[in-house]
Amino acid sequence: MNNKLVINYIPGPTVLHKLTGFTKVLLFLVMTVAIIATYDIRILIPLLIINIIEIISMKPNYKPICTMFLITFVTVTLLGNVMLFIVSPDAGLNNVGANNVIWTSANGKFYLSKEFLWYMLAVFIKRTTSFASVMAFALATTPSEFASGLNKCGLPYKICTIVSLAYRTIPDIANDFINIRNSMMMRGVELSKKASVGKRLKNTVLILVPLIFTSFGKVSSIANAMDLRGYGKNKKRTWYAEHEQTKWDPVIRTLTVMLAVAAVYYIIRYRIIDPWPVNIWCPWLSRDEIVQTEKELFILNWFKKQ
Amino acid sequence: MANKSLGQKLLGVWNTKTIVAVAIGAALFGVLMNYGGIPVFTNTSLTTAMIVPVVVGAMYGPLPAAVAAGVGNVIADLIGGWGMWFDWSIGNFVAAFFVGLLPVYGAYITEGKFTVKHAVIYALCCIVGNGLAFGVVTPILTTLFYGGDLNVTFLQAIWGSLSNILVEVVVGLPILFMLAKRYASRSNLEEE
Repeated sequence: MNNKLVINYIPGPTVLHKLTGFTKVLLFLVMTVAIIATYDIRILIPLLIINIIEIISMKPNYKPICTMFLITFVTVTLLGNVMLFIVSPDAGLNNVGANNVIWTSANGKFYLSKEFLWYMLAVFIKRTTSFASVMAFALATTPSEFASGLNKCGLPYKICTIVSLAYRTIPDIANDFINIRNSMMMRGVELSKKASVGKRLKNTVLILVPLIFTSFGKVSSIANAMDLRGYGKNKKRTWYAEHEQTKWDPVIRTLTVMLAVAAVYYIIRYRIIDPWPVNIWCPWLSRDEIVQTEKELFILNWFKKQ
Repeated sequence: MANKSLGQKLLGVWNTKTIVAVAIGAALFGVLMNYGGIPVFTNTSLTTAMIVPVVVGAMYGPLPAAVAAGVGNVIADLIGGWGMWFDWSIGNFVAAFFVGLLPVYGAYITEGKFTVKHAVIYALCCIVGNGLAFGVVTPILTTLFYGGDLNVTFLQAIWGSLSNILVEVVVGLPILFMLAKRYASRSNLEEE
């Protein structure tokens, strides 16, 4: 159970661990925006390499990370691609811009094109980069640092308290959940696949009610303790976790700002001024060869008319 | 709860108790999303996490419920390790706002008030909220942010809203009745 979580509560010994919360949050936000905004494998691969270097530099326990990656890979990538193949085999045509068919099924209903494979690769790289950046952030940051960093970014401190408190109570609540589930199973409440879906849903109520009561029962004691220490009295608040900058902080912040500038430049240059005709760049297709298809979804057409 | 203005009912009262409750709700959301569901495909499963905004909404109003679901989803993404999906976090925020509207139409759970009429309005709110959030907001954000395939996103969204509505009605209603009964037995003292 605890083996599965990668949340850190004690700041670790390496350079990245010791940075101030603001630097970490800033790096993570810029990284996330850059990953979201680009679908270009030429940008995503460097970002992926940066994130992997970050993870390696922190010398983490690799076991939970690998387990998580495998689970995500099987559930998201494999199942997602199988579904994509069945639902829209022309995703390659829509997103990459051509259809070089390399395999067709006997009845001609399904086909596989080079561009479809390229699309799958691009989506996979994007998901993996996203996964790596989240992992790097989760490994480097303690809940209090996360909250102090968010507050320095301009979020009201009450929201920051919510984030850090929630982040911090997760192991407790997860333990409660497992305990309640195990004791209910001991008493013969069937939750496995032996019971029908309706029965399982009904039995879930039996677990959720005590879980809700124990979790929300803590609210008043925590709130009273915070009130007694004067929480929420002033408009501002200082953070115990926010410390002096280390000598690496300015370096990382400069790099982050450079990354942000590069991302903004890329977005303006390649997505607004001179957009590539389709979503994903592909090495063997030049601009003239690309076929643009109309998106057949009603909501988008409705937006175009506006 | 009954003698508050509409604005207060919508936004909730942000004292320390609400903040702690929202935080606990967000943590519960994260835990249920990671351990309390059966994954079906990308980001989608028959998750029990949507019960959390129901309870938070019943006790503190729609905006706290929405924040609990939004922050909860971000935290679930952080510990779950499947990457950040802000489109779904914002979708959950919107859906949770509608699901948490309970005090606005007069279902004061903390005073033991929850009748069949409220249950019907609650079910309608679940359908409207999920339809709007996962039928409109999330697919638009997905295409804007990630440029994913629209047909797949729509399939996931339809599955997501259907499973959410199922969980909110089949699991949520008994919990709401149970909560109301529990609070009613506590609040039969009258002030003199």
